[in-house]
Amino acid sequence: MPDRKASHPQAMAPRVPGRTRTAPPMQPASWRTSTRMKQYSRFGMTGWIYLLASLSAIEMVYALGSGPEAYEQMQRVFAHPLAVLFHAICLFSVGYVLVRFFGLFPKAQPARIGPLKPPPQPVVAAMLYGAWIGITVVLGAILAGGVF
Amino acid sequence: MSQGHPLLKLEPLIWFLFGQGILIGSILLTAWLLVVGILHPLGIIAPEALAYERAHMLASHPIGRLVLFGLLALPVWKGAHHARHFFIDRGHAERDRVIGGLCYVVASLLSVAALVSVIRL
Repeated sequence: MPDRKASHPQAMAPRVPGRTRTAPPMQPASWRTSTRMKQYSRFGMTGWIYLLASLSAIEMVYALGSGPEAYEQMQRVFAHPLAVLFHAICLFSVGYVLVRFFGLFPKAQPARIGPLKPPPQPVVAAMLYGAWIGITVVLGAILAGGVF
Repeated sequence: MSQGHPLLKLEPLIWFLFGQGILIGSILLTAWLLVVGILHPLGIIAPEALAYERAHMLASHPIGRLVLFGLLALPVWKGAHHARHFFIDRGHAERDRVIGGLCYVVASLLSVAALVSVIRL
């Protein structure tokens, strides 16, 4: 078949080889541009953004431990328009990840947790969004000088 | 992950750290990015809020250190796991041993850097 190549040989492979012979898995030519692959890729790319966001935060805290001069120098770096744009992209990515994750998490609950049934899906989702908003408001207020 | 993959034994630990990174790390990172990364540099909040003395006082408190460590180290594991799966999704599964290993080495190094940064405060 044209424009098709073999998938990874262990794709969909059972733990133990079965008796029935099956055709090797083939990758459709359109897989790269399929909607699902684009979604996976977007979600996967947030990993790079998280690594960079963490690196910048580690640098800021390291500078804080190095003394006032290093801290003020790092604050000047953070005030650069490109740094602000970078942090805005990071914030968008974090929001994208959490909204997607909070959509998945309630559906991934087991039917029973020991003797208990998990709460209904909307309740689990409300708890997650409540925790996100609540912690962001409290931590944001502390960082912004509204508390303490 | 196929049988015999070198990362298979670490899978429960990797998934635990990834799960904490995507949930707790992301939640903590939101306020940090909003306030420290955007609002403070734009001058929307008072400059004294993140002045050295106040920032150091908050960060060096035991609870502050714990929150900061979670904020710095947990998202790294989310990032490494998704960076690895980005390569797998784009058709590089046969290089997963190298790429996956590299991603988690980077995550481990950044976690150590986060720990050192918090201890130094």
